[in-house]
Parts: sequence; C-alpha cells; structure tokens
Amino acid sequence: MSSKFNKELQTLVRDKVISPELADKIEQYYATKDVGKPNRLFAIFGVFGALLVGAGIILMLAHNWDDFSRATKTILAFVPLLIGQLIAGYAILKEKSNAWKEASGTFLFFAVGACIALISQIYNIPGELGSYLLTWIVLCLPLIYLLRSHAVTLLIIILSTYYAVEVGLWNYRSRQTPWLYFVFLLGVIPYYWMLLKRNVSSNAVTIFNWILPGSIAIALSAFVGRDGTLGFIMYITLFGLLYNIGRLLIFKELRTLRNGYLIIGSLGTVICLLIFTFKWVWDELPGTSDYGSQSWYIALILFVIAIAMVGFKIWKNGIKAINLFQVAFIGFWVVYFAFSDIGVLPVVLMNMLVLTLGISAIKIGADKFNFGILNYGLLIISVLIACRFFDTAMSFVIRGILFVLVGAGFFVTNYIMLKRQQKIKKQLKDLQV
Amino acid sequence: MKTIHIFIGFLVVALVQIFVPAQMIWEQEGVLESGTVYKFKTRPVDPTDPFRGKYITLQYEISSFTVADTSYVHGDEIKVYLENDDHGFAKVVKVSKELLDIKNDYVIAKVTGNYKEVVYFKLPFDRFYMEETKAYDAEQAYRKMNSDTLRDNVHALVYVKDGQSVLKDVIIEGIPIQEYVEK
Repeated sequence: MSSKFNKELQTLVRDKVISPELADKIEQYYATKDVGKPNRLFAIFGVFGALLVGAGIILMLAHNWDDFSRATKTILAFVPLLIGQLIAGYAILKEKSNAWKEASGTFLFFAVGACIALISQIYNIPGELGSYLLTWIVLCLPLIYLLRSHAVTLLIIILSTYYAVEVGLWNYRSRQTPWLYFVFLLGVIPYYWMLLKRNVSSNAVTIFNWILPGSIAIALSAFVGRDGTLGFIMYITLFGLLYNIGRLLIFKELRTLRNGYLIIGSLGTVICLLIFTFKWVWDELPGTSDYGSQSWYIALILFVIAIAMVGFKIWKNGIKAINLFQVAFIGFWVVYFAFSDIGVLPVVLMNMLVLTLGISAIKIGADKFNFGILNYGLLIISVLIACRFFDTAMSFVIRGILFVLVGAGFFVTNYIMLKRQQKIKKQLKDLQV
Repeated sequence: MKTIHIFIGFLVVALVQIFVPAQMIWEQEGVLESGTVYKFKTRPVDPTDPFRGKYITLQYEISSFTVADTSYVHGDEIKVYLENDDHGFAKVVKVSKELLDIKNDYVIAKVTGNYKEVVYFKLPFDRFYMEETKAYDAEQAYRKMNSDTLRDNVHALVYVKDGQSVLKDVIIEGIPIQEYVEK
C-alpha cells in the first residue's frame, strides 16, 4: 500500500475525523485486498520489455545478413517464433497471470512478423507492404482471445490502421479499398465489448475508447476516393456517429476525458463545419458529385447508422435528451444537398450552425457546472469569429469591438459560474452545519 | 471456457503460424529446385521497407508486349509466356489472361497500362533484398555501369515453374551483386 495513503490516514486520525481503530481497520482492509492482486506494474514492464525485444529482433533481421546461408537464415526466422509460442503456450496451460500472457503475447506478435519478414527476404518474395501486413494481422488476430491480451489487441488495431492507410492511401501505384480493415475491426470488437461490460471505467477501456475512434477516423481516409467533397461528407457523418456512440448509455458514468468517442466526435464535427463556414469552400465545390461511387455509399451507410442512433435515443429518452452536437451532421447534410446552389445561403446557414453549437456548448457547460465544456463553447465562437476576419470586409473598428466582446464574454461567463458554484458550496456547508 | 480448450485453440493457431511461413518456404524451394532459370535484363534502384529492410527494386527491360486487345486494363493479372533469345536472355512470346496450351513457361504479371496496341505490365519479382550497407552501393554500381557500354551485363536470375517465379540473384558482369559491391 502506498505510503501516501498511510500518511493521509494518520492525518485523519490526528484531526479527529476518524478514530485510530477505524484507521487500523481501513489499513487492514486495503492490505488484504491487495494480496491476491498481481502487480500491475509488472504487466506493464513485461509488455514494454517484450515490445522492445520483439521490435529489436525485427530490426536486426531487416539487416538482411548476406553472410548466412539460406538454411541458417531460415532457422533464425523460426527461433523467435518457436520461443514465443512455447512461452505463450506455457502461460495458457499453467494459467499464469495476466502479466505473463500480455508479455508473451506481445513477443509472439513480433516473432510472427519477424518470421514472415525474413522468409520474404530470403526468397525475395514480391508483394507490397500491404500484403505482408495482412498476413501478419491474420496470423495474430486469434491471440487476442486465446491470451486475452490488451497489448495484442492494441497492436492489432494499430497494425490494421497501418494496413488500411498503406493499401488505400499511400500505395500510389495500385490503390485499393482496404475492406479487410472492417473485418479486422469486427474481430477486435467482441473483446472490447467484453471489457466494456466488465468495467467501463478501467484504464484499458479508456485506452480503447481513444484508440478505436482514432483508428477509425484515420482509416476512413483510405476509403475516400478521388472525390474530395464526398470525403468531407463522410468525415462529418463519421464524427457525428462517433459523438453519438460516446453518448450511449453505457458510457454515461464515464468522465469526459475518458470518452474518446465524445471528444474526437465533437472536435471533428466542429473543425469540419468550421471549414464550411468559408465562402470560397462552397464556391470551389464541384457542381455534381459522383453519386454512384463507393465514397457515396460509405457516407450513406454512416448516415443511416448515425440517424438510427439518434432516432433510438429520441424514442428512448425523448427529444430533450438530444443535444445539438448529436444532430449537427444532419444539419450539414440538409444544407449541402438542399441549399448548396442558392447563393450565400449555405455559408450563412453554416455560420449559424457553428454559432449555435458554441452557444449550446456554453449552455451544457453552465448546466453541468463544467468549466471545460463552457470554455469549449466560448472557444468555438471565438474561432468562428476569427475565421470571419479572413473573408469579410468588416472595418477594423468593428473587428476590434467583436474581439473585446468575446474576451469579455470569457471573463463574465467564467466569473458568473464560479460565483454560482461558490454559492452552492456555501449552501451545502450551511446545511451540514 | 476451460483452459484445455483455450490451449487446444492456441495450438491450432501456433501451428498455422508455423505452417504459413513454412508453406512460403516450400513453394519457393519447389521453384528453385525444379524450375527453369531465365535471365532478365534489369536496372536496380534502392528503397526501404520498414519491416523487411533494404531492398533494390528491379525494373526490367521486358515491360510491354504488342497486342491489339483493348480488354487489358490497369490492375489485370496476365500470364506472360517466355522463351530464351539468341543471347540467352528471356523474351516474351505471348501474353494472355487465360492459361494457354503451349509448352513455354509463364510468369504472372500485373497490367500497368494499354496504349496504342501495346500492353504494359510489371513483372512480379521486382524486389531483391540486400544487406542494408550494400543496397546503396549496389545502386551506385549499377549507375556507373549504365554510363558505359556494359549495360547488357546486368541481369536477374529467375527460376520459373508453373507460373511461380523466384528471384534467385542479380548478376553484374557475371558475378552476384553482393560480391560485386564488395569488390
């Protein structure tokens, strides 16, 4: 048990908040609680060790030793693989602790990569990086469930993202749509769901809450075809979808910082919409988009899922449970498909949408007494105003006044909220006394 | 689920993890053992793969074939039928999408373009992995060769069997490229 906690207990006893007997009891409770628990640090260092050793082996083999014969190289390729398999097999059979499974899984993951890499080197097997990554992922995906390893899951997600971007974006010679990315994602999700069910506030879940939406947001770029405009629609819809996922009931108890879906979704939505508040963006839009293309169908599918989630929420909790961030993407779809040809109307509507988003964030922040959200709303409005400085011909005096007003707004709103919070705290104190 | 079931599952996965690379070796060894060897004239350049290290990319003189067929489009897989010319270098006899009933060996290539009755394609064996310190020198060595008349003296040694091909070596002036750069 940490000495800090012990010190805290002593302070409580000294200040006569708790009795010495109670302090002893508390101390004993935590002492017995920690006994059966494996050391978490051990697992983390184990994983890091395996990560470094595994990556080191890959790098060493990538040197392509010319002096070794084909047979020697082949044996070298299989040695790390067999060692990794032996340790992992032993960890499963003897029901070793998580630290064992995490570390051996991580090592085995890299050993598989090193083995197929070396075989490709020995025989100069052709094939782009994408096909190599594909083989690697497929061979290691089952380890997630066999070893129940967070580290392997994380590595698979990262490698799948790499695969998607490599095949769909970076490979300029033969771009293909990396549909298999979705298959890999589907392979990981049951594990993630299991963790969610067990403890939504655990650190592992938090990491996945960030890495999954992050991976999806990055990988989506590999699915955008040549039509960049549809790419924007795809992204705005995806961010809307992510935000709605973040607002699911299962994440309700989560602190905002632990909810990557909510933050990535919200930031993404605001940034995309801000881009469309510029007039020149609308002027540059091509007259027609290719409504038979793959990007269009992906956008449509994302839209249908996101709408279904919004609809479900309304049906379950009523329209009042919905906030504007959840439906902002619908606003964009309406403006884009109904009003994009009508002069400056789409620009005006976009500006209004972002402004309303900012105001609604301020309101949410004020209602929840959350300074973070309140200032996020103010920030949205400030950025919107700053953006308008680039493409409107307002006089400097008016621009200056606007900035002063927004700055004053920051002070005033924060001050009012601080006062209100202090007042409520004082009332609570009075009640206790 | 019981530990033993998980363990059996793990054994299956472990076997697959061994089987896939072993299968890769098996296929390549089969071609090296009983395939026919061809020499392809080539020029090397040197990029890097993040996991597999340095290699040289080979660009082959054989990269197109005249055929009046517009149905070949970018990305198609075609069979390129080969024979040896009078100087002992590989040359294309025919290209086709389907398997042809002729005796010649073939390799599988990817169509990169179709322009004015000429089909352009990329041969599959375009990577030759080298020790990281040598890959750059190899490219330099080739550059030097390219400036004089020795150009014909760089070629790739490729074993071919049933459409499978294995790049065995790259030869400059009659000696393997690794030894050539060490000189």
